[in-house]
Amino acid sequence: MTTLEVQNLTKHFTGSGEAAVNNVSFALQNSEILALVGPSGCGKTTTLRLIAGLERPDDGVIRLNDRVVASKNTFIPPEKRGLGMVFQDHALFPHLTVFENVAFGLRRQTQKQLHETTTEMLTLVGLAHLAKRYPHALSGGERQRVALARALAPRPVLILMDEPFSSLDADLRHAVREQVRGILKSMCATVVFVTHDQEEALYMGDRLAVFQHGQMEQIGKPEQIFHASTTRFVAEFIGGSDFLTGETAPDGIRTAIGVLPQPLDLPMWTPVEIALRADDVDFTVDSAGNGMIAERFFRGAFNVYRLRLDTGQILHACKSHTELISPGARVRAYISAEHSLAVFWKGQAVSNESR
Amino acid sequence: MRTGARAFHRLNQQNSISPRLTIAAGLVALFVAIPLGYIFFRAVTGEPEVWQRLLQTRIWTLLGNTLLLVAAVTSGALVTGVSMAWITERTDLPGRGIFRWMLALPLAIPAYIGGILHLTLLRSRGGLIPQLLESLFGQPIPTPSPLGFWGAAFILTIFTYPYVYLLSAAAFRSLHASLEEAARTFGRTPWQTLWRVTLPALRPGLIAGALLVALDILAEYGTVALLRYETFSSAIFVQLSGRYDRSAASVLSGVLVTLAIVILWGELRLQGQARFTQMESNWRPAPRHGLGKWKLPAFLLILGVISASLLVPVSVLAAWSIGAFLDPKTLASVFRTGSQGFGSFAWNSLWSSGLAAILAVTLSLPVALLSVRYPNRFSRFISRFCQVGYAIPGVVIALSLVLLVNRLLPFLYATPLVVVIAYVLRHMPQAVRASESALGQLSPSLEEAARTLGRTSLQTLFQITLPLVLPGLLAGGALVFLTSLKELPATLLLRPAGFDTLAVRVWVWAEDGFYMQAAPAALLLVLVSAIPLSFLLRREQVFK
Repeated sequence: MTTLEVQNLTKHFTGSGEAAVNNVSFALQNSEILALVGPSGCGKTTTLRLIAGLERPDDGVIRLNDRVVASKNTFIPPEKRGLGMVFQDHALFPHLTVFENVAFGLRRQTQKQLHETTTEMLTLVGLAHLAKRYPHALSGGERQRVALARALAPRPVLILMDEPFSSLDADLRHAVREQVRGILKSMCATVVFVTHDQEEALYMGDRLAVFQHGQMEQIGKPEQIFHASTTRFVAEFIGGSDFLTGETAPDGIRTAIGVLPQPLDLPMWTPVEIALRADDVDFTVDSAGNGMIAERFFRGAFNVYRLRLDTGQILHACKSHTELISPGARVRAYISAEHSLAVFWKGQAVSNESR
Repeated sequence: MRTGARAFHRLNQQNSISPRLTIAAGLVALFVAIPLGYIFFRAVTGEPEVWQRLLQTRIWTLLGNTLLLVAAVTSGALVTGVSMAWITERTDLPGRGIFRWMLALPLAIPAYIGGILHLTLLRSRGGLIPQLLESLFGQPIPTPSPLGFWGAAFILTIFTYPYVYLLSAAAFRSLHASLEEAARTFGRTPWQTLWRVTLPALRPGLIAGALLVALDILAEYGTVALLRYETFSSAIFVQLSGRYDRSAASVLSGVLVTLAIVILWGELRLQGQARFTQMESNWRPAPRHGLGKWKLPAFLLILGVISASLLVPVSVLAAWSIGAFLDPKTLASVFRTGSQGFGSFAWNSLWSSGLAAILAVTLSLPVALLSVRYPNRFSRFISRFCQVGYAIPGVVIALSLVLLVNRLLPFLYATPLVVVIAYVLRHMPQAVRASESALGQLSPSLEEAARTLGRTSLQTLFQITLPLVLPGLLAGGALVFLTSLKELPATLLLRPAGFDTLAVRVWVWAEDGFYMQAAPAALLLVLVSAIPLSFLLRREQVFK
């Protein structure tokens, strides 16, 4: 069942030329977690705020459980949409206790019901013992969980989360996001989750929507996004790929480090770019070679080398930690991947169907 | 220590504007605009011969007098304020904690009361100090006269420097130690560092302080009238109260308001982007300078300033008050019953200033909400516009209200409500600034969270926004209350017969030479003013 449907959503802010959100469409099934991910200013947060009703769209339609909540002629204010939202700064009311914060959204209930629901939510997030505290006396992770409990308490049809972990320390962030994903899944919550951290998006999302310049570049399962990026931007942002230029030829794609025997539906001698991750590239020490090692980064189980090819291009390659090669050595780099690679022409993927 | 006040102004983004809020803020701006616009209208449409007569006779002298006084007092207050702030914030002088309070408290003493006291002490014929000297030495000893330009400049400097003191002390406080340390590592001596790094970094605070002083001097009536130095404000007052020449008063007011707006505009230009010194979480105070053998001179300097501005005035007032209570005849006239009694002056002061504070804060809310939550050109204009009250002296507001109320709302004429309206118009900027800064520190996501949890915008305002910004609003109210208590010229011109406030009574009695009789009222006024003042000072970083 479709919980949220967004069609052709567009929003301009006065004073900026580019649309903050430009013709974005997607749908969200019941009890699915969708992560909106992209660099800052890409429109992901604005999309979230439009769904929440905190901004008014210029164009497009938003439906919640098949009810139109925003369109050209309709605008349902946020308080009537029945959503729960978790804010980046948690936005706990400082003048209310933890209990009162969680109970804030529970209305038209008897005192007994209200008490039960609130206690139940606080137990769910493991904070029942802190009910009487004020927010300033909580740690960052506790605040995060109170904010979640507050958003969940009224049993909203949809939960919106705006970079909820960005205010936490790195250590805490990993622990809290595991807890939070567990809680959300146990409640079968439908969630739209915004983050600028691709790793967090891959972890949290059942599906990912990658944004850039107000547009949605790609939407799909984490594996799809990671292995079958449809645009160069997605491959760069999610995969952290390097891009090696090449040119289509009868025997495959000719590049500075050899020929990639991968046929493409493109005319001969078309310039293309191949996305390469560090584990797709290997090298041997070779004084003739096609490049040199610029730097070595220790990564624990393996070493990552930054290679500067004679053409000036930069590639990264990883090798196991047993082998140490010093910066400055001449090397011959080659493509070691045994699967087909993503190739981009004018920023768009070509011939993905072979994989 | 507060760890970095965060400002939550949303940049490059703008919510869909709420029409109700826009209308409310627009109405407030209109309320502020009418008196100002009307004065300009009257000034421009004034009869040509009035303009010609004034241009030939008065305007240039008044302009020279006014500008000279503004320049002298502003520079005097800057030098005094900054040097006092440097001593209390950056040196190891003992007793700094007490001196901070004593240097700020003169704000509770209206300058004209200080003027009255210094005049009775120093005037060349019958002054207490010349009399004392004569009885000591058996012959008259020449003493400096407090009358005229130098007297006015002196009195106004010692009662306005606290503005500069407070702002520059706060700026000295918020300076990051590493700023001066960096200058020292680049080979600058401490003296060079002070001039090249520290003082320029204080510039925003200094300019803001100088602006407050300059606008205060433009609006000052009591002191200059008392010390017989004619400025625009006192000339307008005379035209209004004595000669009833409203055309001339309008013309002079138009020129005065233009002058004030030029100063206000100059401040905006000078301030530029450098408005705030941000206190970061890793802030640590700059080290204090050891005074060494300069300890005694520094101590005497501070003592001199606080004697002239606080200790002498308060002790003289206290002595006279005791004298008044011991003398049955004076006591009887102080405590006459009915509408002329002491209690009724105090009550009138309290309720009119209190009502003005409540009204000003209430009216400032829609303006502040609009400008903080929906920042754009329109809301900025509304907010700036509501702050021009700073630049409109009390006499001008009085003139404008006399003319407007007579013409449009005759039933309000000669009621205390007109006085309250004048206070609100004049002190609206303080309320707007306080409300804006309170709202600016409140994260908009708190309001948005309330919306997503099922509250309408109005419920959110009452359940979340107002409870959380209440301390900031109270501070704004306290400031309006304090300045309204001290207000003199507009009250004198607008009050209905028999409506005496403490300020008015002190002035009238002192003008008639009944200093003893005036002292208890003046002392009460100072004490009542000190309450909201100390509440406000306690909120400042410097006094924590």
